[in-house]
Amino acid sequence: MALLEVKDLKTSFYTRDGVVRAVDGVSFSVDRGETLGIVGESGSGKSVTCYSLMRLIPEPPGRIDGGTAMFDGRDLLQMSQRELRKIRGKRVSMIFQDPMTSLNPYLRISTQLTEALRLHDNVDKKTALNKAIAALEEVGIPEAAKRVHSYPHEFSGGMRQRVMIAMALITEPDLLIADEPTTALDVTVQAQIMDIIKERQEELGTAVILITHDLGVVAGTCDKVNVMYGGRMMEAGTAEQVFYNPQHPYTRSLQKTIPSLQTKGEQLYTIPGLPPDVSKPIHGCAFYPRCPYPKTGLPEGNRPDLVELADGHCYADCGFCDSSAPIESVLSTDVPEENEAAGAAE
Amino acid sequence: MSDTVESHAEPAVPIDPANDFLVLDDVHTHFDLGKALLTRESKGVVKAVDGVTLTVKEGEILGLVGESGCGKSTLSRTIMQLIRPTSGRIFLEGKELSALSDKDIRAERINFQMIFQDPYASLNPRMTVLDTLAEAIRTRHPGVKGDAMRTRVSELLRTVGLNPNQMKRYPHEFSGGQRQRVAIARALAPEPKLIIADEPVSALDVSIQSQILNLLKRLTREMGLTMIFISHDLSVVRYIADRIAVMYLGRILELGEASEVVDHPLHIYTRALMSAIPAPDPRAERTRARIVLQGDPPSPINPPDGCNFWPRSPVPHDERMKHEEPHLAEIRPGHFAANCPFCLQDA
Repeated sequence: MALLEVKDLKTSFYTRDGVVRAVDGVSFSVDRGETLGIVGESGSGKSVTCYSLMRLIPEPPGRIDGGTAMFDGRDLLQMSQRELRKIRGKRVSMIFQDPMTSLNPYLRISTQLTEALRLHDNVDKKTALNKAIAALEEVGIPEAAKRVHSYPHEFSGGMRQRVMIAMALITEPDLLIADEPTTALDVTVQAQIMDIIKERQEELGTAVILITHDLGVVAGTCDKVNVMYGGRMMEAGTAEQVFYNPQHPYTRSLQKTIPSLQTKGEQLYTIPGLPPDVSKPIHGCAFYPRCPYPKTGLPEGNRPDLVELADGHCYADCGFCDSSAPIESVLSTDVPEENEAAGAAE
Repeated sequence: MSDTVESHAEPAVPIDPANDFLVLDDVHTHFDLGKALLTRESKGVVKAVDGVTLTVKEGEILGLVGESGCGKSTLSRTIMQLIRPTSGRIFLEGKELSALSDKDIRAERINFQMIFQDPYASLNPRMTVLDTLAEAIRTRHPGVKGDAMRTRVSELLRTVGLNPNQMKRYPHEFSGGQRQRVAIARALAPEPKLIIADEPVSALDVSIQSQILNLLKRLTREMGLTMIFISHDLSVVRYIADRIAVMYLGRILELGEASEVVDHPLHIYTRALMSAIPAPDPRAERTRARIVLQGDPPSPINPPDGCNFWPRSPVPHDERMKHEEPHLAEIRPGHFAANCPFCLQDA
């Protein structure tokens, strides 16, 4: 049985300007020790998905409208706050994007690191501190015994993110949710941090959900990949399936936009238009307005279902795009700039 | 700012202030941190830019790459004369900018404009797009008013791919990518010759990034602009730039044609930077050997002596690296690198 099985998760925000369907029917599963990457642009609902699992959505205006999230046989979405508190920080922990704001600037690292241990494992102060020092050493912080008493501002960005990782893993959780853990860091530091997460994951057998917008980071670390767009799943499969045999036009376009894959001198391929406004109801496929395939269908079609192509490889098949056609024949690199202007001038 | 700066030896990069478009001659920008309150000991000097010699040809795009804290933004602000250099000279079309008075600089600045990283912070939220652009146009054409101004603004908006109907809107009504287009339009409004773009796509989504990169590249070609494109992302710079300069702790470590620097990097730091970029290819990622650097980028307060890269160097080195100061040298034709023997080995 999978460690975490999410089915048809729906989270909306009820604002004065209407209902924002941030997550609209997302299903996936994570096995023990496995790494799942959730990829998408900003506003695609990837962070809200994970915040919903941890029940960290501010209510109101947010509300989890439906779905189940079975974690080790129990539904995270139905648990009482009391039960949840036993799981959060113990069996499921989280690393946030910005290590500058996710540590408490008033408290020493030692206090923040040992808090989870003292609460969940009921250990005494001394044991907790020793464990904290060991945890810092494991993420490569030099002079850990001395540094553990420092305040967050005494660390650099990369070091703070190491502290966050140490803090998240100190209780040896079953699942680690990492929300853009390296986006705020330099590339050379990003490589170090991803290595540390991988290393610790292998030692502890933790499952990891990695949220990112960077396809490169996903390729290096993830076993499975979910591609999200407009609060929905566009494609899911193993990293190999999604990278080498992408089916959905959005996945294909996203892959094409990566500058490092493009020949120099040519114009960069761009996805015309803007990401969808999820505060308005989306009819049919969320990617329809930007889809590069010839549009034979109507946008008011039914919402495309996830179709399983091969073992575990699914994509939202609207039935109109011929995914067997090579993307090069469909994508034109010469997208007129005016498309966006027209699309935005509602 | 401190006054005393020891000058480096003869620059290896040939400069010709009279004829080159933009010339930086041994530019230093230092910030003095002042003295401690009681002991009166100096708290140190931030050597943000520490001896940069560079030329930019007319019509080219120079990519400036480096990690946070390497001084690339300070360098761009020094070129703009928003921060005056501690020492060294800067020439634009033969005119020495660093010698002009503040008043003359303001008049001169219509020739060089800047695009900033965060389009949410760089546009005035209380001015409409029309007001923002009109103000910028008036710096060169003070007399333009009314319909003539609106025509000019419409033209500008069309150039950057925005709909002229949107000129009465405020910045918050636009998405990030559209705001960056407005910021680009504002930089173009005074009809500058040089544009400095400081991380113009870092705050944008991938699918929007390529739209803005295409736009910048097209505009430089069509309008005959010269651009300094600053980024921490080598893969982005590789695409847009003609030449690339790699910066580390206030100095240029490597400089050359973009394809040369990317495909045949000389300095170990450039090679490490390249290898740190994750490739969107799972099989290649799993088998790839990476050059992993030690630690974080060091602080530019009292930077290490000698080859300032030694504290992070992944290659074996000895004491000489910590004492012998390297200089930019032409290793291959047109391809310069700091000539630290340890950093250049097996390049």
